[in-house]
Amino acid sequence: MHYVLHYGQITSYLPYFIEGALLSLELSVLAFSAGLILAFALAILRNDGGPIASRLVRGYVAFFTNTPQLVQIYVIFFGLPDLGILFSPFAAVLIGMTLNAAAYLTEIVRAGLASVHQQELDAAETLGMGRLQTLRYVILPHVFQVSMPPLSNQYILMTLGTSMAAVFGVEELTGRAMNVNSTTFRSIEVFTTIAGLYVIITFIATILLAVFGRYAFRARVRVL
Amino acid sequence: MGIDILGQLPRLFSSYNLLLLGEAALTTLLLSAVGCVVGLVFGTLLSLARLARSWLVLPLKIFAIVYVEIFRRVPFLVTLLLFFFGAQVLGFDLSPLAIGIISTSVISTAFVAEIIRAGLVAVRPSQLEAASVMNFSAWQTLWLVRWPQAWPLILPPTFAYLVLFIKDTALASQIGVLELTQAGNILNTKGFSSLLVYSTVLVLYFVVSYPLARLGAHLESRLGAPRHSRSRGPLR
Repeated sequence: MHYVLHYGQITSYLPYFIEGALLSLELSVLAFSAGLILAFALAILRNDGGPIASRLVRGYVAFFTNTPQLVQIYVIFFGLPDLGILFSPFAAVLIGMTLNAAAYLTEIVRAGLASVHQQELDAAETLGMGRLQTLRYVILPHVFQVSMPPLSNQYILMTLGTSMAAVFGVEELTGRAMNVNSTTFRSIEVFTTIAGLYVIITFIATILLAVFGRYAFRARVRVL
Repeated sequence: MGIDILGQLPRLFSSYNLLLLGEAALTTLLLSAVGCVVGLVFGTLLSLARLARSWLVLPLKIFAIVYVEIFRRVPFLVTLLLFFFGAQVLGFDLSPLAIGIISTSVISTAFVAEIIRAGLVAVRPSQLEAASVMNFSAWQTLWLVRWPQAWPLILPPTFAYLVLFIKDTALASQIGVLELTQAGNILNTKGFSSLLVYSTVLVLYFVVSYPLARLGAHLESRLGAPRHSRSRGPLR
């Protein structure tokens, strides 16, 4: 139990880690944006797409929210090549995270859409707004105002989820930590350092999202 | 190639492999259940420390805030690797399963603490004022007034968290815990098609998780008051 911490050995790797953190952020931003667009499409299909589409969306959401993201990416990365479909590790992780995020985000968006009152839509119609105008000026602001806290929450969870990419050999923050761990054997220092980096990244993300939501959609997001 | 994959089905579902998958599914459930029970116990203590007003417990309060804010913001995989390699470096001889259970407990304590805090905060201040007017002690207020009103708000999100956590335990395969995903890895190494094996694992996770998720939704509609929708998410 006489272990001496040597953070000095790790500090030279900090730029390497920060680059990895940027890759993690890239992954989470891409997957979140793509997932959100897909989620809007799915939520609208679920609400007004007829009984069959609605069932399919429900099945999709149930399946993706009840199975682990890791195994979903396993199927995409290791399973699909059996059928002759090959992806790079980054693409496989991105596709898996997007599909998974879309399922969770569909539920959030649907709750947001459900909170738009019929009177607001009627008022928009009375003012002579077209469908797109109603969407842009009435529905979307309302949805984002209501859904900002769960969306921000989901984004943070997704940022943490990007650490899974390390399993598939993507060199993001966790992947780089594994590399440094196997060259320096300073396990405790390496993993506490990147844990700290994750805390910092997600704190910045929470604050930025809260500020953005406050000014763009007048949404109240609690930071601490 | 599709025929080749389907041809493996009977061999994949041999009694030995089914036993392996069944035991692995139990380990998956064990990991998340133990994590959540430990999380409930320590999470309650942490949330009480965080809500306490007395100056005496200020260090505990700071500890609770720091603990919760840190462990909700560190990926589960990183926690697992930290404990796994940390135990090795420090010379503790722990099995991967023990490390998995410790990690799940540590993480779920942070998340459950936040759920419990949200539930306790949702009890109206007037109730606590009434208790204090009636000369209830702090303990009586907590036990007789606050907790009975808070637990219907706490139980559904905790259950939802347990279901969410079942899927996170898939990461424990990375340190060699023999749970469902690791059983999939083993079968894949034995030469079965990875598409077939991992699809089977996905289906098994679904079979474990879906009924629990439905039960959770049922609990929520039975217990959850409309206003508790404010306190649902673990992170805001």
